[in-house]
Amino acid sequence: MRRILYLSLVIFVGLLAASWLTHGTGVIKNDLARNIFIPDDRTMPLQIKAAYNGHDIFFRYRWPTDKPHIYHDMLKYEGGNWVRYGASVAGPQPQGIYEDRVAMMVDDGSVPEFGRYGGYVTIGDRMRFFTGEASPKEVAAHPYLGAKKGQTEVGKHLPATRRDMNDWSSVVPEEELARLRAAGYFLDLWHWRAHRSNPVDKSDDQVIAEARYGDAGKGPFFTNWDGEKKQPRLMFDPQKTGRTALDWNDLTERRLGFGDLYYLREDQAVPFDPNLAWKDGNTIPQRVLRAGDGSRADISVVGPAEWRDGFWDVTLTRAMNTGHPLDDKAMVDKGFYSIAFAVHRGAYGSRWHYVSLPVALGLDRDAQVTAVRFDGDIPKWEQAWSDVTLFYPGQVSWPMLTGKRHAGSSFIKDGVPVRFRHNERQLAQYGIEAEFADEIWRQWMLTLLGGILLIAAFGVGLNLLLGRERASQ
Amino acid sequence: MTPYYELFVRLVAPYHAVLVHFPVALWTTVALIVFYRAISDGAVARAGDKILVPLLVLSIFSGIAALVSGLLIFPLEAAGASPLIRNHILAASWSLAYWTVFLVTRWINGETVWKGANRWIMLGLAALGTLLITVTGTVGGHIAGKPTTVSIVLGWFGWDVYDTFFVPDAMLWLIGAAIIGLPALGWWGSRRSHQS
Repeated sequence: MRRILYLSLVIFVGLLAASWLTHGTGVIKNDLARNIFIPDDRTMPLQIKAAYNGHDIFFRYRWPTDKPHIYHDMLKYEGGNWVRYGASVAGPQPQGIYEDRVAMMVDDGSVPEFGRYGGYVTIGDRMRFFTGEASPKEVAAHPYLGAKKGQTEVGKHLPATRRDMNDWSSVVPEEELARLRAAGYFLDLWHWRAHRSNPVDKSDDQVIAEARYGDAGKGPFFTNWDGEKKQPRLMFDPQKTGRTALDWNDLTERRLGFGDLYYLREDQAVPFDPNLAWKDGNTIPQRVLRAGDGSRADISVVGPAEWRDGFWDVTLTRAMNTGHPLDDKAMVDKGFYSIAFAVHRGAYGSRWHYVSLPVALGLDRDAQVTAVRFDGDIPKWEQAWSDVTLFYPGQVSWPMLTGKRHAGSSFIKDGVPVRFRHNERQLAQYGIEAEFADEIWRQWMLTLLGGILLIAAFGVGLNLLLGRERASQ
Repeated sequence: MTPYYELFVRLVAPYHAVLVHFPVALWTTVALIVFYRAISDGAVARAGDKILVPLLVLSIFSGIAALVSGLLIFPLEAAGASPLIRNHILAASWSLAYWTVFLVTRWINGETVWKGANRWIMLGLAALGTLLITVTGTVGGHIAGKPTTVSIVLGWFGWDVYDTFFVPDAMLWLIGAAIIGLPALGWWGSRRSHQS
């Protein structure tokens, strides 16, 4: 009987140990049909420096990545057709044709929730690439966002631009949107892209209000596609570049580096000639680069922005006051702002980026990032880096955070900053678990009940054996 | 959350924080008595053993009160969606179930549990129970915004308290088999012993 008692103990303790060793497995896995792809690394470091001279402000960003991704959206000639490669997909783009990016949202206090919760406030209902995203047809049919603003997906937007944050389509009247914008209720978005803006030393200048828009004016790229003829609109000018197209193999084997021509610039392009003898593998970028103009071209690269020894090193600059108050947050000496960052790397597009919590920026004032005042045109960057941890946010929306399913919603209601309760590593984990909420709930309930029944079963067995021992004494 | 529910929660939450101290203190005391009784047959150790059952009964009642008050703090929807709260509920439920089994074992078997090698089994079981309380309290501390270094130790052993603790299906099947197998084994062993 003793041996059976010991066997029972071994089974019980062994199962507890096996449960410990296998916990957390079997549920969380990629599910592309639901737009779920989980990056291996859930956090990453970003380093920041900032400086200003009274007229211009500079931001320098540095982050690690194994290799740079500088190709984006390509049209490859295949069996008589031009086929697109490099569109945003769930997870990494299979051929590696998706550019690295760094983005920074800026607020001057006009969007009060932003300083406490960062980019979470911009994530609304049925966002693009979320499980259950609104379809392009639905968005295009929206009388304001679709018909008037040409939107085909639900992108970042601010809470007060909706009557109900649980409904992406409940946009407040246009007049109210205009009043909100005039009051500064928008986020300035600096958006540097390794392919679509860097080769022309530009960063896209965007804005988040009731949707994510480009600032007024022309952006640093436009789309090179003739939908009617199903062919590119432009090709490389052979007089200026010595070629009409790129070679697909050069891209997949990553033979084209920073000094090579891997992008199509407007001033190096000519109208596409369908009568040329196009061969399989000929490739033309689907984006055409240009300097841009107006408010959208306010941000420039202080070059070169390049990847070296495992790190991107990118510096951007802009006038402190661009004179575009409806698009940009003016920055002033001794000013205090909230900023938040996003980085795309490893050929991950769309929402598969890393984001930061809000970071305080002070101009010649103590803050998480202090912009140093200097004299001259270019900063010397003698100050130390400020370190920021970025994390993969998963699918966590503002309606979810402020709703019944978030145990901390009352803290948000009370205005408690996210950093008081959560850190980046934890938020990454929570973001992923939120993607499997139903599955984890089921598995957790079964684990809970299984554990209780196992303890009870062990107790029954133990007492039967000890009871016999007691009786025999 | 309705205003009344919010008010109710604001009343219950502090009492949960008060109530949890009772089972934790009682189970810790029980574990210390078990430890002493396992290594000693002296008068003090025997006296300690005599109060084990009342202590355990009290601990179970206070454990139920703590668990119920804890379940009332958050709406079920929120509790079910929060990894930390899930972990806290799981560890608390297992602690309660485990110490109930401990109570039943000591109550039914009396002094037999200290005979021979049984005392070491009791000591091992008490240690396991203490571990469960530690995990429950650690996770509770995180929920209350008071994390401790115990969670770092748990991390060294492969569990981040911010990850919901659940096991895969294969493990559930094994647990299911043990739920049937362990009483069967006890019954078989008991019968075998009776026949011999």
